[in-house]
Amino acid sequence: MSDPNPTTRANRRYLTGFSLAAIAYVAVLFAAIGYVNYAQPHGALRYLLAPLIPIAFMVPIFIRYFRETDEFQRRIVTESLAIAGGVTALLAVTYAFLESTGLPHPSAWFTWLAVMGSWAIARIFVARRYR
Amino acid sequence: MKNRLKVLRAERDWSQAELADRLGVARQTIVALEAGKYAPSLPLAFKIGKVFSQSVEDIFDADATD
Repeated sequence: MSDPNPTTRANRRYLTGFSLAAIAYVAVLFAAIGYVNYAQPHGALRYLLAPLIPIAFMVPIFIRYFRETDEFQRRIVTESLAIAGGVTALLAVTYAFLESTGLPHPSAWFTWLAVMGSWAIARIFVARRYR
Repeated sequence: MKNRLKVLRAERDWSQAELADRLGVARQTIVALEAGKYAPSLPLAFKIGKVFSQSVEDIFDADATD
C-alpha cells in the first residue's frame, strides 16, 4: 500500500530506485570486467563503459526525488550541493596550482570523490543548522 | 520565525510524525519549523493554518525572528 505522505513516498521511491541502480551497477561492472578478461573482445572499451548505464539511471531517480520531496528537504539538498560545488572548485584550483610544482596529474575520480564527499559532509552540517 | 506550532500540536496530542503526515512533509521539517529555524513557504504556511483551523497570522509571528 502506498504511503499517503508524499515526502515519505518520495524517500521510499528514491531509496528503492537508487538501491536497484547500485545493484545493477555492481552486476554490470563485474560482468563487463569478467567478459573482457575472458573473451578479450574487439572494442573492449564499449563493454567497459556498460556500467555507465545503471549510473545514468541514478540521475533521473535523484531529480524525481528532488521534485517530489518537501520544500525543506529541497533546501537542505540545494544548500549542501552549493557548498559541495564551492569546496570542489576550491580543491580543484588548489591542486591545479600544486600541479605546477610537479605533483602528478590526478585521476578524474578526484572530482567525483570531491563532489560526493563534500556533499555528504555538507548535508550533515546543513541539516544540523536547522535543528 | 517564531510560531505556536509546538503548542498547537500538543493541544491536539499529535506527535511530530503525525503532524508531518497531515502536512505531507518529513518529520525533520516539523523539527525545523517548531524550532523556528525554518520559515515555511506561503503554500505550506496556509496548509499549516488549515490543519490547525487557524489563520497564518495566529500561528506565525513575522516580527519575532530567531
